Amino acid sequence: MNTFGIEVGSITLLIIGLGFVWVIYGERFLGYLWWPYFLLAGILMLTASLFIPSAWGSVLVGIIGGSFIWGSTEFKEQAVRAELGWFKNNKNKIRPPFERIIKKWKAPHL
Amino acid sequence: MNIIGLVAGITAFLAIWFGHVMVRETERKVRSIIPPILICTAIALACLVASLQTDSLTLSSFWGILAVTFLWDALEFYRQEHRIKQGHAPANPDNPRHAEILRQYPSATVKDLLKREPQAHPEISTSAETETA
Repeated sequence: MNTFGIEVGSITLLIIGLGFVWVIYGERFLGYLWWPYFLLAGILMLTASLFIPSAWGSVLVGIIGGSFIWGSTEFKEQAVRAELGWFKNNKNKIRPPFERIIKKWKAPHL
Repeated sequence: MNIIGLVAGITAFLAIWFGHVMVRETERKVRSIIPPILICTAIALACLVASLQTDSLTLSSFWGILAVTFLWDALEFYRQEHRIKQGHAPANPDNPRHAEILRQYPSATVKDLLKREPQAHPEISTSAETETA
């Protein structure tokens, strides 16, 4: 019996659950145009996980990285949900660096 | 190089992506959500057994993550049906179960309200604009 996988699975559920929360607040205070930074952070975490010798350390950084990549794809729909009034719509968002360039890109969604 | 974190992270992301699309598309078509819920639960249990049986930590994580995401997908069928009732996801009038929801719930709609771009100009998006959107 190797219970490592199910422990990892349970932690994954928790990390994804937290993902729903930070996407809501991230969109509210920062706005969906921050998505490339979250995507980049996720990719960096996945890469960093390769250099962590401990299994738990590597797995945690990897899954948090994966959840950042997922979160970056969730921002756009969350922004629409806020505009529709399904979530609080904060108009004074902190704008991302290079906003002009990011606006020209198509935000990803699943 | 320790690939376990990369494998776990990519597995988690792809499993969420797959579940997201699979639940949305399946719920739209099926007459009852019970069979897909049972199938997802069975797949989750099979993944759980696989994760307990393997000696490899990497494979065990892979199966463990799939187990919980399939279990989550089973729950998402209920949540998706609820979103249809609220009008937060589009109902399919060709599906008798959705047609019934459309009759019973005034909030239900066939329109996909999320299928548009955000306005991206928070400071100039007036409340009038957001209300008509």
